Amino acid sequence: MSGAGRIAAGALAAAAAGPAIAALVPPGVLLSLLAQACIYAILALSVGVLARQNGMVSFGHAAMFGAGAYLAGIGLGAPGLLPAEAALPLAVLAVAAVCFGLGLIVVRVHGIAFAMLTLALGQACFEAANKARGVTGGADGLTVALPREIFGLPAATFQRAEGMFLIAWLAMVALAALAALLARSRFGLLTEAIRENEERARFLGYGTVLPRAAVFALSGGIAAAGGVLYVLYNGFVSPETVHWSVSGSALIMALLGGTRTVWGPLAGAAVYFLLREQLVEVTERWLGLLGILLVLVMVFLPDGLSGLPRRLRRRHGAEA
Amino acid sequence: MSAPALSARGLARHYGGVAALRGVDLDLVPGEIRGLIGPNGAGKSTLVDVLSGRAPGSGGSVRLFGQDITGLGPAARRHAGLARSFQRTSIFPALPVGAQLDLAARRVGATDAPRLLDELDLARLAAVPAEQTAYGDQRRLDLALALVGPPRVLLLDEPAAGLTAEESLALADRLRELARARGVTVLLVEHDMEVVFRICERITVLELGAILAEGTPQEIRRHPEVVRAYLGSAAA
Repeated sequence: MSGAGRIAAGALAAAAAGPAIAALVPPGVLLSLLAQACIYAILALSVGVLARQNGMVSFGHAAMFGAGAYLAGIGLGAPGLLPAEAALPLAVLAVAAVCFGLGLIVVRVHGIAFAMLTLALGQACFEAANKARGVTGGADGLTVALPREIFGLPAATFQRAEGMFLIAWLAMVALAALAALLARSRFGLLTEAIRENEERARFLGYGTVLPRAAVFALSGGIAAAGGVLYVLYNGFVSPETVHWSVSGSALIMALLGGTRTVWGPLAGAAVYFLLREQLVEVTERWLGLLGILLVLVMVFLPDGLSGLPRRLRRRHGAEA
Repeated sequence: MSAPALSARGLARHYGGVAALRGVDLDLVPGEIRGLIGPNGAGKSTLVDVLSGRAPGSGGSVRLFGQDITGLGPAARRHAGLARSFQRTSIFPALPVGAQLDLAARRVGATDAPRLLDELDLARLAAVPAEQTAYGDQRRLDLALALVGPPRVLLLDEPAAGLTAEESLALADRLRELARARGVTVLLVEHDMEVVFRICERITVLELGAILAEGTPQEIRRHPEVVRAYLGSAAA
């Protein structure tokens, strides 16, 4: 089976697992938690795509996530202007387009400077969300009333855990498959080459800014898709959604799961959410315990949890 | 008379108040393998950097088969037919060897990647990430990335650095075969004099950013200024 065929088969199997999980988990807090985990897993996936293809660490992806949520919320709040079916994809496309333009500038900066730049841009968006009361509702946030139906589904489907879990799960699987196909494509190979050795790529005749900006845009678009689901589920978005701590959490999820594989950040998000729920019950200092876990993973599994199978295979191979 | 493959006129490069290149004139005859030697700090790598567009010149011009490429960046120079390798191995460590050659070939519309893999004894490593190959394999991959196409002019900055004497001579022989078979003009920067004298038809000697001498290997071996400045009595 070809690489693309394997990805398609894996995606179909994963998509089919969604309804099975929904059937096994009783409706209530746990399913709601899983729905949120899927939404934030999409954000972690976007951070992972940027790290994997461009080798860049972002501390500002909550801005794209929040921008997707705000734009979708504003679009849904003006039904006379745009139907919801147009407003939601437009919110994603608008964020991706802005990220592409921004990417043409910011991807020229590397390493820690890029991380700090994204942090600064993210916090600028946080401040803008706080100050632009007329558009965003300021610190009070933006309450969004969903239309009666979206894409033929009753609005309640998007705001119940059972419905949103399935929707977010399918979106997560589809976006992960898209990211996997990208990674296997010629374009993906080029961006990996640029990540590995940008100067050599230039001397092979490649321009390096446009491909990196395109990955930045794709990553921003994925984050925005997560934001759209967030606002559909919660019917509300506030500046807290754009705060750097949300970017930090997404980065922790991506690093915990590992960014060498497409599915690593998704696994990281699952572990993060499930552990957080357990640790919150035990101590108020749950974030400290998660930090210790992250340190342990980074020290003993530098490729994250998704690197574990590869490491075990290598060890098994060495012993054989 | 046909235009030189690569021609530099009055090439200069200053780092602050320090002149690394001081009005270098250089003409490569199409198809030749030219050696570029000189003591450390003579400006050899700087000259390759300016010729290849890695570093801007402070003055002067560069022409490739008569086309002025002075203002072009590295990618545009590669499209014009000028390729280079680097002093330190410059490959894509995590990518499979074959994929790297494909990537390089695709950009210039070349179809010789599989043949180059064979000719440089890399075909058996096509599916292996470069970081898992031996140092000698990585140096040959580096050379293959520069040779794919093939380019019209190839600048090689110490391709044998870090190799054993035996490996260096084998690489030199392979390079000569490949360059001749493909009609590639080569400017070779190398400290290993055995390699230079073995494969170069002419040699240019740089000292303190200026050309000290130019001639055949025999002429350079006997050139009193070159012997004094660089080769020492061992060359005689």
